[in-house]
Amino acid sequence: MKPPVLRCRHVTKRYGNFTALQDLSLEVYEGEIFALLGPNGAGKSTLIHCITGLAKQSSGSIEVLGFDTIRDFRTTRRLVGLVPQEINYDPFFTPLESLTIQMGLMGVEPSRERADTLLKTFALDDKRDAYTRTLSGGMKRRLLVAKSLVHEPRLLFLDEPTAGVDVELRRELWQEVEGLRAAGTTIVLTTHYIEEAERLADRIGILHKGELLLVESRSSLMGRHDGRSLEEIYLELIRKADGRPDA
Amino acid sequence: MNTIALKTLFIKEIRRFSKVWLQTVLSPLVTTSLYILVFGVALGSRLREISGVPYIQFVVPGLVMMTMVRDSFMNTSSSLFQSKINGTIIDILVAPIGAFEMLLAYVGAAMIRAVIVGSLVYLVALSFTWFPLHHIGWTVFFTVFVTATLALLGIIAALWAEKFDHLAIFPNFILLPLAFLGGVFYSIDLLPEPWQTVSRFNPLLYMINGLRYGFLGVSDVPPVTSAGVVLLSFFVLLGAASALLRSGYNLRS
Repeated sequence: MKPPVLRCRHVTKRYGNFTALQDLSLEVYEGEIFALLGPNGAGKSTLIHCITGLAKQSSGSIEVLGFDTIRDFRTTRRLVGLVPQEINYDPFFTPLESLTIQMGLMGVEPSRERADTLLKTFALDDKRDAYTRTLSGGMKRRLLVAKSLVHEPRLLFLDEPTAGVDVELRRELWQEVEGLRAAGTTIVLTTHYIEEAERLADRIGILHKGELLLVESRSSLMGRHDGRSLEEIYLELIRKADGRPDA
Repeated sequence: MNTIALKTLFIKEIRRFSKVWLQTVLSPLVTTSLYILVFGVALGSRLREISGVPYIQFVVPGLVMMTMVRDSFMNTSSSLFQSKINGTIIDILVAPIGAFEMLLAYVGAAMIRAVIVGSLVYLVALSFTWFPLHHIGWTVFFTVFVTATLALLGIIAALWAEKFDHLAIFPNFILLPLAFLGGVFYSIDLLPEPWQTVSRFNPLLYMINGLRYGFLGVSDVPPVTSAGVVLLSFFVLLGAASALLRSGYNLRS
């Protein structure tokens, strides 16, 4: 068996008295789509932030392809891409400039050719020289995905990429995610749309109050709960963890 | 060191201020040129010499330094703070860039902007009163270290600030009063005690007088003393900015 692309060992993250992640251990394997589900405040984004360098875990270790994310941060950040939850854009730059700048920041020699390919892939080529602030919400979201791919990451984090986007764009993004997986990129996806995980994920992790309740392949999970949707299974697990009776 | 990222961030910062040159280059040039016109040309013709030089020449180095101080501070502080506010700082935080590369890129670009505006102010001043630089070495020394020092202060301010009002404290309530009280328009020899002694606690006094010595060969304090104060300020702020960036203060949670 190949070593995991991502290995989290006993990761705990505290903010003062609040524990956002509690002794979390997780492995993600090459070429899979791993969906991380959980209610708001479960710790999904905190975990992603610890892996990508936006936060530092209080204890425990995180490795990407065997490299420690703190000690070997220059190596791991070259291997990881992040599509953040919030749309952000630099009002001073165009999509073309944003992509070439991001290439340089990731330590890759800026390439107009690579930028052109990404602009075409994400249907932004006719907006390449427009100021980013003039793009629609969907275009800005696609630009974020394109920026996360400039350095061809081995491990891509999509932190609620379809939050607040319309059905058409959501389906486009799903196609892009499947395309990336086909190209060999390992993907960790957080989402509140359970049907998204049901459609895309190879394995599913459910996070609740900073602890992993379950990590299982989608087919096995669905097989164990014959005839029930993933949403029903998810809600039952969360209710049980909260000590609430079934609805 | 990630030289590609360093070069990219440096060029990005230069392109950022170049894209809004009306605000970042022309606006301070016009404001300072008005100071030269009003204080140097209009009032200066009525004032006698100060420290043995015509008043208009006396005020030019102070105005050049005041402009460079403000622009250097504003470049790092506004760029870093805006990227914190609009979320684009993530692009840098997830990149394989160390604190040292970030510092070099931000400080280097701020120094370029400050030197461009300072040089333009000097050229405008020459159109009113021609004078050669007295000592090019001291001029370069004070230009380099003062602009770098203020760029570092801008980084610290941007990391600390949580709203625009916080950031505005520095140029409006600290730098501008210190520049005015640091002898831009007068020699502190004209002040009665205890104000003369009080003025010697103002670091901008040494920055302004250091450049004035480089420009004109006159100064309220020896250039070596000014250089000592500037170097001390530079290394203190370099240490503080490096430590804050390394720790991820107000950037990484």
